[in-house]
Amino acid sequence: MLLAMHLGVMMLMHVMPRFRRGETAGVWLIAGLVMLAGVAVAWLSLQPFRKLRALLSAVRDGEVHQVDGRYPDEVQPLIDDLNTLLRDREKAVQRAIATAGDLAHGLKTPLALLRQEAERAEAAGQMEIAASIQQQVDRMTRQIDYHLARARASASGASGNARCPVAECAQGLARTLTKLYAERAVRVTVDVPEDLQVRVQREDLEEMLGNLMENACKWGRAEVTVGFVDGAVVVDDDGPGIADAMREAVLARGVRADETAPGSGLGLAIVRDLAEVYGGSVELRSSSTGGVRALLRLPIDGRLS
Amino acid sequence: MALRILVAEDEARLAAQLAKALEDGGYAVDCAADGEQADFLVHTERYDLIVLDLGLPKVDGLTLLRNWRGSGIAVPVLILTARGSWHEKVQGIDGGADDYVAKPFRMEELLARVRALLRRASGFAQPELRCGEVVMDPATARVLVRGEPVRLTSHEFRVLLYLMHRQGKVVSRTELSEHIYAQDADRDSNTVEVFIGRLRRKLGVPVIETLRGLGYRLCCDR
Repeated sequence: MLLAMHLGVMMLMHVMPRFRRGETAGVWLIAGLVMLAGVAVAWLSLQPFRKLRALLSAVRDGEVHQVDGRYPDEVQPLIDDLNTLLRDREKAVQRAIATAGDLAHGLKTPLALLRQEAERAEAAGQMEIAASIQQQVDRMTRQIDYHLARARASASGASGNARCPVAECAQGLARTLTKLYAERAVRVTVDVPEDLQVRVQREDLEEMLGNLMENACKWGRAEVTVGFVDGAVVVDDDGPGIADAMREAVLARGVRADETAPGSGLGLAIVRDLAEVYGGSVELRSSSTGGVRALLRLPIDGRLS
Repeated sequence: MALRILVAEDEARLAAQLAKALEDGGYAVDCAADGEQADFLVHTERYDLIVLDLGLPKVDGLTLLRNWRGSGIAVPVLILTARGSWHEKVQGIDGGADDYVAKPFRMEELLARVRALLRRASGFAQPELRCGEVVMDPATARVLVRGEPVRLTSHEFRVLLYLMHRQGKVVSRTELSEHIYAQDADRDSNTVEVFIGRLRRKLGVPVIETLRGLGYRLCCDR
């Protein structure tokens, strides 16, 4: 195309001046062709960038991890640099999460030791010291769990390139909870469409569903069911249920970092915060058996349910 | 309680505290400070339960657990770890663990879970162990015969507990002594006979049978 343009211009400059008169039509024709060729060159040379833009939005939506395909030699180095940048970014996020994890886990064993010291103090009759240490250990543990979960979610939630099958996740949790709550003999049933995927990092979905399902196992009498109703993942139990007025409080309790009430888990607050990181929500209602139904709404297949 | 427990935990003080609490509960306890040692002990000794830290040096706990389950070692495993996310719990249970406790933990809760796990592993549904007129409660280390408390030494208690967990089955002297003493203690099957003799006198009911050349059997249905 560039060659054709070049030829056209050459003709205009060198060949045309020989035909002095009556040749204007030919001159215009050639000039027109040159201009068309120019537009085509510009359009074609920008084509790779249009393709790139589509791929970048696919990267952002998490459909692909990097920009693939062959590009003109002028553009390829840019693509290579972009891919390196994407990989570096992913690595940096992974490193940051790993570091946060190491820090959290590094603190847990000393905390476990402190707790044993508190129990020893208690056994020696020093109740006040024991209670005070216990309280602070609990508080630190909750803080660590809460912020670790949040750090992981905001890192992965922001990158947006995650898909997680809900049924598989819930089944793994059901196996786990059946063992952890073996003494309670609660039956956990998962009834979720096999192909249902949410746009959430696996670890985060497990954290949200795990907390909801564990609550259900704690309070449920015999049956806990995970289902999918009206675009929300629901966890039902057949326990005593909670009063309407308490629902909001249960979700909010202990959220803002320095909650000190002993025994108030941050479980539900974590679920809510994680759901919000992904643009979702969690809500408590009554289940058909009078227990609690927890509704977890998360982005499904790119759209919010 | 019962029986022999391996504590695989690399933090020495925590391991010592765990061992002490478990021993106070009547178990014989060995400790391993890294993955290799834990693996060696599991392959050379017989344990009734393993308390396994995931963050062990040399070989990590999850790898060990998967290897054991892969090679048919079915000893109940309780994971005790700093890693408490649900993702990690699912991995642990799917790796073959029977229970999962996150640090920091209450010693009381851990002991309760150990007892529950041993009870489940031996197929008992009741917290109390019962054999005819003999009732024992591992949680409180109490033994009742016809409702009357009987005082047992810790070795006698362990012998009875082991037999209780294997009611109706033949237990050899070697097996019994292996489960009564921690790994480095002196093993002498004659002392087992001594303990059995004392147990029979103290219980006063004929529940322990001797099978010549084979060992002992707890017989409850007469």
